[in-house]
Amino acid sequence: MAKVKAGLSRRKLLAGAAQGGGLLLLSGCEKFFNGLQQNKKFVSWLEAAEGVNRRVQRFLTGRNKLAQEFTEQDISRTFKPNGNPPPITMDYMADAANQWNRWRLKISGLIQQPSDLTLAELRSIPSRTQITRHDCVEGWSAIAKWRGAPLAEILNRVQPKPEARYVVFHCTDTDENGQNYYESIDLEDAVHPQTILAYEMNDRALPIVHGAPLRLRVENQLGYKHAKYIRGIELVADLTAIRGGKGGYWEDQGYEWFAGI
Amino acid sequence: MADLVYRHNRITRFTHWINAIALAVLFMSGLQIFNAFPRLHWGDKAEPEEALLSIMAKEEDGDIRGYTDLFGYRFDTTGVLGLQYTDTGPAARAFPSWITIPGFFWLAGGRRWHFFFGWLFVINGLLYFVYNLLNSHVRKFFFTPKSAAQVPAMILYYLRLRRQSPQDEEYNPLQKLAYTSVFLILTPAVLLSGLAMSPQLDMAFNWLPAVFGGRQAARTIHFALAFGFLLFTFGHVFMVLTTGMANNMRSMLTGWYREKAPLRQALQPIEPAAVDNLEQDCPPREIRQAIAETHAAAEAPAPDKPMPHPQETQEPANGAVLPEVIEEAKKDG
Repeated sequence: MAKVKAGLSRRKLLAGAAQGGGLLLLSGCEKFFNGLQQNKKFVSWLEAAEGVNRRVQRFLTGRNKLAQEFTEQDISRTFKPNGNPPPITMDYMADAANQWNRWRLKISGLIQQPSDLTLAELRSIPSRTQITRHDCVEGWSAIAKWRGAPLAEILNRVQPKPEARYVVFHCTDTDENGQNYYESIDLEDAVHPQTILAYEMNDRALPIVHGAPLRLRVENQLGYKHAKYIRGIELVADLTAIRGGKGGYWEDQGYEWFAGI
Repeated sequence: MADLVYRHNRITRFTHWINAIALAVLFMSGLQIFNAFPRLHWGDKAEPEEALLSIMAKEEDGDIRGYTDLFGYRFDTTGVLGLQYTDTGPAARAFPSWITIPGFFWLAGGRRWHFFFGWLFVINGLLYFVYNLLNSHVRKFFFTPKSAAQVPAMILYYLRLRRQSPQDEEYNPLQKLAYTSVFLILTPAVLLSGLAMSPQLDMAFNWLPAVFGGRQAARTIHFALAFGFLLFTFGHVFMVLTTGMANNMRSMLTGWYREKAPLRQALQPIEPAAVDNLEQDCPPREIRQAIAETHAAAEAPAPDKPMPHPQETQEPANGAVLPEVIEEAKKDG
């Protein structure tokens, strides 16, 4: 008899739960999830997945793997130039008009030999050419041929100090509020053979919409890591002192620093 | 009344509900991620003119409408897909806010939910699978050639074209087919197609996007498989609701399930020979004869009435007139 009673009260409970669930689903679901999304503590829990992704994926990848390289036939007809519109500062437009002859890549931070490199000097470094797939965080992919200077080679020349851990890319392009784009990768990705500073796309000088005169290619990461319109490289030990402290323009707004997935 | 049986162990119940939450969040945050690029492609790249599926809002003569293009066919999906009416007016979005996580458009947020609950789904699934593999529960719903042979009969039974269910174990052949395909096909495929979108893992395993037909194809498959899970969930919930909701819910919340009938006995086919035996056994022919005669003697029929058929007399005589004869017949039987 006790069993039957328990069964009935459970039934009531279940009916109540089902009703409540239905109401929640119909009216409050959206508000419920939006509320959680705005709860800093909850979001910091969700963000824990990033570290797991980074460790597991890096562990599975190892250090000597290369991203798939495609053939000329695979190159996309359309390659969407995402991100900020091209810079319209006087300096940038003047540099573009001068074929980037007066443009310099400023390399600074935790290095033995701070230096500026001209585009001609970058071109004199033994280049790498690769036809790779660009994967945007939005979901689309496009294939293009890139030619540029391996970042590992540039780092070799400037001699990072032992405490340097990250390479920060400072960019000329800005958002509608005048905030400059910036990005960062760690040294492990920086010295990968396919990580290059590209100055050519599909056998032509890098177009302005794609980040002229110099953009990053870091083939194990999503598109927003591939900084365009690079004007300076800085080696740092830690990212928290820079801008929002999360290591990049989109990272400061909630996107993952590890953009391997 | 049939007894309560302990049907679902603690781990099964716990992982079932975690799984339900994880799948719901994965589906809804997945649609948020999809909304950032509401098109599906095949191959490795997304050429705009080659979309298989495309959801968009378009303005025509001052009127904004939502459209869904699927394999070259255009559907007006205003209000649901492409264009949603909100409190603040029409909003262009592929999937509407009430089915995405978060409700507002925020790709970064959707990704955070998706990856967290993706891990939860995997770890929870492993816990379920390893535990129930160890106690050999998963063998009970493993789809075998024998279950395959029973599938047509089970379909006929569900369509009410067949009286007897071919089920002779805890899970019926269609349940086995559903669970086995979710375990062996849907889940691995949804995980791998999701991982195939990772540029980092694609570097480690160049073959990963290739097995799906390219990264964009993997994205398309991942999307389609999410709807496979949705379909499974609808079927699952439908069966829960139509086969005794309270009992089913109790068994997944507390573990205790009320058996409808001892399984083997209920499912034993009734053969014609058995029916004959029943007829002969109770009560035997001689006793029926005796009953009929006694009855006839007790209430002599009016002369104008025909003799009652023995079968008609059987029932009242059975209980009322000759209980001791019946008792004896039972002993004999």
